Amino acid sequence: MLQYTLKKLLAGLPLILGVTFISFVLMVYFGPDKTYELAGKNPTEEQIAQIRADLGYDQPFFKRYTNYVIELATLNFGHSDSTGERVTRLLGRTIPISLALTLPGFVLGNVIGILLALLAAYYRSTWIDKSIMTFAVVGMSVSFLIIIIGFQVMFSSAYGLNMFPVRGWSMDTLGEYLYYVTVPTLAIVFVSLGYNTRFYRAVIVEELGKDHIRTARAYGASARSILLKRVLKNSMIPIITRIMFSIPLVVISGSLLIESYFGIPGVGKVTYDAITTGDQPVLKAVVGATAVLFVVVLIVTDVLYRLFDPRVELK
Amino acid sequence: MSAGESFWSKAWRKFLGDRFGLASAGIVLGYFVIALGVWLDLWGQQWSTLTSGSNLPMSSAHWFGTNLSGQDIFDRAIYSTKTAFEIGLSVAVLSTILGAILGAISGFFAGRWSDEVILWLMGTLDSIPFYLFVAAVAFALQGHPLAMHAAMIATFWTTTARVVRGEVMKLKELEFIEAARAIGVPQHLIIFRHILPNTSHLLLVQATIVFVSAIKSEVILSFLGLGVQDGVSWGLMIAESTQEVIVGQFKNFFAASGMLFVLVMAFNLFSDALQDALDPKKVH
Repeated sequence: MLQYTLKKLLAGLPLILGVTFISFVLMVYFGPDKTYELAGKNPTEEQIAQIRADLGYDQPFFKRYTNYVIELATLNFGHSDSTGERVTRLLGRTIPISLALTLPGFVLGNVIGILLALLAAYYRSTWIDKSIMTFAVVGMSVSFLIIIIGFQVMFSSAYGLNMFPVRGWSMDTLGEYLYYVTVPTLAIVFVSLGYNTRFYRAVIVEELGKDHIRTARAYGASARSILLKRVLKNSMIPIITRIMFSIPLVVISGSLLIESYFGIPGVGKVTYDAITTGDQPVLKAVVGATAVLFVVVLIVTDVLYRLFDPRVELK
Repeated sequence: MSAGESFWSKAWRKFLGDRFGLASAGIVLGYFVIALGVWLDLWGQQWSTLTSGSNLPMSSAHWFGTNLSGQDIFDRAIYSTKTAFEIGLSVAVLSTILGAILGAISGFFAGRWSDEVILWLMGTLDSIPFYLFVAAVAFALQGHPLAMHAAMIATFWTTTARVVRGEVMKLKELEFIEAARAIGVPQHLIIFRHILPNTSHLLLVQATIVFVSAIKSEVILSFLGLGVQDGVSWGLMIAESTQEVIVGQFKNFFAASGMLFVLVMAFNLFSDALQDALDPKKVH
């Protein structure tokens, strides 16, 4: 197991190097120059040179990239150029907020999606299936932004229920957390439900058509036992794949729109601000973390495959 | 059905029998005519003209009223149709071409170094968070108006390439390719003249999916300030409407999101009908 993990990590190196390299070229090398922002009014030549040296701008391209890889390997990204906060502390503060914000919606969106898909697939071509799938296409066709604005008006403004806050965030007590997380969660569930239901229905319909299901039906197995014991269990591989591979993007960019709309200080908002202001230490850390997360997800997914399907071999 | 009926005429017949598919294709065509009219200066030209008052109600002069700055909402929504088609078509066509070429090369040389490089590139691009990538491209191109288009093309081709790669790996084992090899057809001709045309039904469906993703992404990117830089789009309209809905003005929001929703919905249904007609193995 340990040997397998190490081998997989090694195989993930090209991906990590690729992601960090492309991001480095785009975000750091061509990104905004912070020199004059930090220099203040009427800087002298020496002051400018000093700031450029502090920021590492004066070093050659490959030296800067190699430094980045070393920073990533030692998890030492230094301090934010904008606020001076330690980058690891900044991430430790903002990632939990993003997770608390997106996780409930992500879990509910997948669970409800699977349940609707089971229902639609089992009652295939009946009115139940047709209404669920119509709902799914409608859900797929509404923009996330429209959902967010619409839900905000409906739940948080005087033109609607006016029960939840317009913007902001707090997790001090469970009550406050629920107060702030409800509307974003509803929006996330709604926007993901259409795509999820369609995807899972296709998987389940295919599984339902197999011979062993027909046999189980012939033996008089109940709908419940067929769906939960046979179909769902055998559909786990594509389900795991979909859920696992959306995790890295849910953590980083999935929350960006919600965070900037509701003014929530999560990692998506912090990273977006870092791009627009050229806060390189923060950018390097987030991009590096995403790449590593992808490789970890790749490994965990393989292990999960093995757990759900003993025929899969780890090699 | 005649025995010699070709794949495309069979698909066409199937598509003609699909009521939802035909209706949605009609709606998409209607939008396209609107966009064409804007392009030919027939209508929607008053989108930036300032009128006498802001947030005017609906009237015969301003069919959908005016926005906070006093611009005609109806004209803006109409003009934005052109913007949407410009983005959708350019991103769909270019990313499909890119995906087709790289996917075909990768599939034909599966397991060899060129395949490894392309697979690595796809994995890498898929692992960079999309909105951050667009933001980075926008800054790298110094706010160029086509930065958003470039970023979408650079990331959307990977899905198409994966689909094409899988299909090409199957096709290259078939007898007609073996025959082409046997009579000495050069490799690039085998890939691009004999194999790639046989994936065109997949490319067509992929292009419609990318079209939808592109106009949906535009809305979010424009809201974040990374999208359309000159002109107007549904995304920009929805972004400005966020200032208006808090004071109870919903016209701008409804006009833009209504136009967007109907087009995306029709395109989604059209894409489904296309898939039904073109993929004999698709399960319902």
